[in-house]
Amino acid sequence: MSLFGTSSGFGAGGTGVFGNTTTDSHNPMKDVEVTSPPDDSISCLAFSPPTMPGNFLIGGSWANDVRCWEVQDNGQTVPKAQQMHTGPVLDVCWSDDGSKVFTASCDKTAKMWDLNSNQAMQIAQHEGPIRTIHWIKAPNYSCVMTGSWDKTLKFWDTRSPNPMMSLQMPERCYCADVVYPMAVVATAERGLIVYQLENQPSEFRRIDSPLKHQHRCVSIFKDKQNKPTGFALGSIEGRVAIHYINPPNPAKDNFTFKCHRSNGTNTTTPQDIYAVNAISFHPVHGTLATVGSDGRFSFWDKDARTKLKTSEQLDQPITACCFNHNGNIFAYSSSYDWSKGHEYYNPQKKNYIFLRNAAEELKPRNKK
Amino acid sequence: MTVCNFYLQGRCRYGDKCWNEHPRGGGAGAGAAGGSGFGNRVWVNPQSQRSGGNYVQPSSFSSHGGGNDWGRGGGAGGGASNNWSRGGGGSNDWGRGGGGGARDAKNFSFSNQNRFSTLNSQSSFDSRGSSVADDDNDKNLEMIQRDMEAWQSSGQWALSCYSVLKANISGFVELSPEELRMEYYTSRASGDLQSYANSVQQLANQWRSRVQELRTMSSSTRTTMISELNNPGSSGGGFSSPSSGFGSSSSSLSSSAPGFGSGGFGSSAPQNGASGFSFAPASPGFTMPNSESSSTGFGSTGSQPSSTGFGGFGSPAPSSTPTASSFSFASPVASKSSSGGFGSASGFSFTSSTAPAGGGFGSSAPAGGGFGSAAPAGGGSLFSSAGAGGFGGGPAAGAASGENLFTPQSELTPDELREFSAKRFTLGQIPLRPPPAELLTV
Repeated sequence: MSLFGTSSGFGAGGTGVFGNTTTDSHNPMKDVEVTSPPDDSISCLAFSPPTMPGNFLIGGSWANDVRCWEVQDNGQTVPKAQQMHTGPVLDVCWSDDGSKVFTASCDKTAKMWDLNSNQAMQIAQHEGPIRTIHWIKAPNYSCVMTGSWDKTLKFWDTRSPNPMMSLQMPERCYCADVVYPMAVVATAERGLIVYQLENQPSEFRRIDSPLKHQHRCVSIFKDKQNKPTGFALGSIEGRVAIHYINPPNPAKDNFTFKCHRSNGTNTTTPQDIYAVNAISFHPVHGTLATVGSDGRFSFWDKDARTKLKTSEQLDQPITACCFNHNGNIFAYSSSYDWSKGHEYYNPQKKNYIFLRNAAEELKPRNKK
Repeated sequence: MTVCNFYLQGRCRYGDKCWNEHPRGGGAGAGAAGGSGFGNRVWVNPQSQRSGGNYVQPSSFSSHGGGNDWGRGGGAGGGASNNWSRGGGGSNDWGRGGGGGARDAKNFSFSNQNRFSTLNSQSSFDSRGSSVADDDNDKNLEMIQRDMEAWQSSGQWALSCYSVLKANISGFVELSPEELRMEYYTSRASGDLQSYANSVQQLANQWRSRVQELRTMSSSTRTTMISELNNPGSSGGGFSSPSSGFGSSSSSLSSSAPGFGSGGFGSSAPQNGASGFSFAPASPGFTMPNSESSSTGFGSTGSQPSSTGFGGFGSPAPSSTPTASSFSFASPVASKSSSGGFGSASGFSFTSSTAPAGGGFGSSAPAGGGFGSAAPAGGGSLFSSAGAGGFGGGPAAGAASGENLFTPQSELTPDELREFSAKRFTLGQIPLRPPPAELLTV
């Protein structure tokens, strides 16, 4: 296994918790810092599935690399391995058995990284940067789904250089999520398409977007029977829409809520509105976490329609988040998301990944 | 409480039992209470009604046809829950005697503006609009204006589409932060950050002018918007959303053009000269770079000079409508110079007033090497809310029009000086120039 080549300035091992001496705002929540974070903005995070013992965190970054850490039960993070692309990595995902990691990059390729052998091979090719990658495990097939800015959604059997299937989308893919048998893709120009994955992937429905601005992130949630039943869609305008696929009463069940805005109650000054960069659902409680360009994360209960918690403000936007398989750990990354253009980009600024104990804070509110 | 319209005409048959308010002095003349809660509506003096029957619709009231109000007034049509229908039960009002003494002349003097001018809230006004469709138009236009205001002041991502109804409003370029960042990285790799900065500036200016245009809804914008809202997809002129714009153009776009170049820039195709857009129409422009180079440079891994890529995005086909596009791009097909397409800042002439003449462009162009630095580039950045050239500068730029904010005292005429020094302006003698700084008391 190869350790990380570049020095992160942190030293290896250790908890990475800098302790209580610094009160600067890079970690106001005093969460556990992951050691050896990437050198450029982190674009995506993914925890290992339950089929694998232990917790392993994968993070892709704009420094063209994908890193793997082992998260131990005492909170210590150990850097394990790293792979490189020739372009920034935009999305990562695990296979269902936890042996492979799939990475999607702006270099228009996707790679399959076998963790046991630490080998990565290319499994997909697009005409444009690949924005999303997801593993689909169906009873009768398994494949990798890649969504790209070339407006296509392709499905790959990892053994073949040609896609099993290629679906045309109306616009560039901006975000996607898969929970078998449902897949949701949100595209540019407020496009929203739901696919059904049984037998073979096919377009199920095109939905009129409940949001007025650019789609930024999407995440599927499940009902009490653990079946995917809807999704949460975030936009650049500090708003998240909760949308059910087949609700009994669409007007009442679907709703949007505002988040990641400044000036909560003060209506005199204009609000600052920030993009919602990622949404993650707690695997056990069904509550959701949103992270935004304002550098905060928030926990919400969509059934009680309440906010559970909002964090302090970090000094950088939070670009990605995810829960581990049992919902005990919430990981979020603090790095620049380009929300203010190139003028605010500081390549020297450190990027962070924080881990937080999520078992208690995301318990749902009891509905009145 | 809402004011009773019948009472105002002197015709309320419920009298004291009326649920609505009977203002004192309201019975005296229909419309003495003429305050207009609605900016556009001008109250028309009922006296002018006697002559005809058909009153002259104020011109600012563009969303209503001339006869609509009238006809509806007679039929008491679709208003949801208003005095009119409750009082009259939907029937024609003319026949009623009314409580306060029938003043038949009033029947014809009654103008619709009168009915509404006593209402305070815009929303109830809207519900009584001449027809449901016009209501919706008004509501939607209001919403667009409010959203534009919020967008301008909130600092949210500017390169986003926008919509009020199902379809997207034209004139907005949709780019995700990742796409823009990828552009930056590609440009940085090829060493030409200047063209990246220039095109970002261009996008910013285009966005600013479009938002400003929608925010201050001129009557032409209003009509365009209404037709666009009512006819999604067949929006006027070339204001097609990027996807449809590209779908309609030749297929070479989608195949060979990596996402960024084709998806973003050419979308705003101004064929309506009144708009503030300055992008050339998409379709011809984009096929050009595609045909001449193997890649547009956007998705390429830096081997292509990024200038071609960016030049491609801005390149107007020579045959495209020249009047609308006020950019004078050097044809990027011919020139490979790094800022060929964009360097001609002097050729820009934004029709919208918000962008300072050449300042927006020139000011944000430090030497190419300076671009990687951390410090935000000078005014005119896309997101700085207090940007000198940018958002906040809009009104100032408009007002000052490139000149000083204050007139030196020596330049004032004695009349102007007298006006400025006085406690109040005298009507008819208000100076046209700004006052001198010395006379201002803060």
